Amino acid sequence: MSNTIEPDSDRLVTVQNSEEFAELRRKFRGFAFPMTVVFLAWYLLYVLMSGYARDFMGYQLLGNINVGYVFGLLQFASTFLIAYFYERHMDNKVDPLAARIRSQLEGGQQR
Amino acid sequence: MGHEVQGGLAIGLVIAATVLIGAFGLRLSRTTSDFYVASRSVSPVWNASAISGEYLSAASFLGVAGLILTYGADMLWFPVGYTAGYLVLLVSVAAPLRRSGAYTLSDFAEARLESRTVRQVSSIFVVTIGWLYLLPQFVGAGLTVQLATGAPGWVGGLLVAAVVVFSVATGGMRSITFVQAFQYWLKLSAIAVPVLFLVLAWRADGMPTPGDGPPTFADRTPVEVPADLRFDVVEPVRVLVNGVLDGQRYVGEPVVLGRGSHEVGEGALLTFPAGSTVPHAATVEASDNASWARPLTAVGDRDHPVYSTYSLILALFFGTMGLPHVLVRFYTNPDGRTARRTTAFVLALLGVFYLFPTVYGALARLYTPDLLLTGRTDTAVLLLPERLIAGTGGQLLTALLTAGAFAAFLSTSSGLTVSVAGVLAQDVLRGSVRDFRVAAVLAVAVPFALSLWARSLSIADIVGLAFAVAASSFCPLLVLGIWWRRLTSTGAAAGLLVGGGLATAAVTATVGGVDRGGWTGALLAQPAAWTVPVAFLVMVVVSRRTPGRLPPHVGRTMVRLHAPESIAVPERRVD
Repeated sequence: MSNTIEPDSDRLVTVQNSEEFAELRRKFRGFAFPMTVVFLAWYLLYVLMSGYARDFMGYQLLGNINVGYVFGLLQFASTFLIAYFYERHMDNKVDPLAARIRSQLEGGQQR
Repeated sequence: MGHEVQGGLAIGLVIAATVLIGAFGLRLSRTTSDFYVASRSVSPVWNASAISGEYLSAASFLGVAGLILTYGADMLWFPVGYTAGYLVLLVSVAAPLRRSGAYTLSDFAEARLESRTVRQVSSIFVVTIGWLYLLPQFVGAGLTVQLATGAPGWVGGLLVAAVVVFSVATGGMRSITFVQAFQYWLKLSAIAVPVLFLVLAWRADGMPTPGDGPPTFADRTPVEVPADLRFDVVEPVRVLVNGVLDGQRYVGEPVVLGRGSHEVGEGALLTFPAGSTVPHAATVEASDNASWARPLTAVGDRDHPVYSTYSLILALFFGTMGLPHVLVRFYTNPDGRTARRTTAFVLALLGVFYLFPTVYGALARLYTPDLLLTGRTDTAVLLLPERLIAGTGGQLLTALLTAGAFAAFLSTSSGLTVSVAGVLAQDVLRGSVRDFRVAAVLAVAVPFALSLWARSLSIADIVGLAFAVAASSFCPLLVLGIWWRRLTSTGAAAGLLVGGGLATAAVTATVGGVDRGGWTGALLAQPAAWTVPVAFLVMVVVSRRTPGRLPPHVGRTMVRLHAPESIAVPERRVD
């Protein structure tokens, strides 16, 4: 890695305490944690519906395919959807910020 | 008998390909770093294929269909959970973990917490989880070789153990990456191609559905008993018996089997009339078809389905990140961004694969109900083609599936063996390449020995237990280690020991044969829902009580984990 820089400890401490670094972690957590909660709740909803809303889940939509199966497939689809949103969030929101912190560090390094 | 030759040939080809690709990669692996993590120079698609190839084990290829055959809709959570576990891994820990620069989970623990003790505790759980996961691979290999060639049950496990030790000990991780990637595509083709033919055959058969009653034999069905067996008869049935039944020898005579428990000797042939209800093995409590098709219906001895299902989901979601062989793959990405890309590809590759075992499970309910009697439900995938498609076509598809199943055993076992051996070599031996080879032998010998007596356990169930231990130990360590700077070494060690220890104890009780019924049974059989929160709680509470044990370089470590990798934070040497 030719463009790697090796800042000294002082600079690292500065980075760690900087507003940008806090922002970087906030941006990441602000997406990751709520998303994890939402999708765990979404799966829990499915389990609970299967357990306590039997008639609704067993309602036959087409031949042997009932609401439960469609719901199940949606769980699968939502997994991919979240992965897609995550990827976009990281590319658009987090990576540019990371790049900015890096360029600041590099600037400081060149003195 | 042509199919033995074909089965043997299919297995031989997969082994040959594995060894050859491994040998090709061998020429590329030079240094210790190459050996463990393939020099971090593998592209996302290759790496994603390799991760998926490694991840799709005997449980995915054979076990899921077997559980769906027996228990029905609830078991769909296995494929969903296996896939979604990667999402949790992606969102919560993938990139920071990659930046930590550690080779194994134990390395991560030591780098983050700066403590030998935490490292050693982690190593114990890496080995425990690895062994628990390797065990069903050997069981599956035994079943497959037995079915394909008629060889005794231990042959398959020994074959896999030997090939894995050879390729791991000679090639390390570099060659393994290529082998794994190849094996993903082999597994996908092996499971997808037969589905087309099976579904066509099912349509030609008039698209039967299971109906509402108990599972029945559609036609007059002879069932050969592969090993001494106790089974329960649900409805009295008149069968032709050739062999030992309830202590008496019969030679092709009709016997009426009354309701209740019976015993039949190895090699006996029971012929059931068309339309009769399928009895079930004492170890397999099957449901009637109506509750089979519906979720959460407390099938057989699986009580408290809502709790059990959610606990399973938690284990699978949070366990994936704690599997030793999964994690090491993230270090083969050049940076955190490619690590994310790779994970997204993995989700897609796994999602495509998991559509298929479900189809096998549903068709198995119709065409291989006799497996409920013999208890060999894990072989459903391999038996279906010959049941549905007569002649050479069916035999060829069986050979293809046999090859795919073998690829599954080999790839998962190699990945696990690399990880377990890596930890054993570094923490028990001295860490040289020679020690790594000795460690590889140790890593497979123990689970192989265990597999000899654990044959009656369901493959996917044991793998589920490995996930539960991983979720109760490494998930809290990783999540808190990455996101909570006040985690102390004492807190981490305590959480690992309590959470992982409780889960391991519950698993041991379940595998040891504790009754699965009632609340105690459910809590032990699916421990994740209580052991994961307990582990988190212990880590947080103990860390708060021991602020003095905060790692001295935690600030630097946190920057290293969360800053973009192009800022190289000087690594503290930990040897």
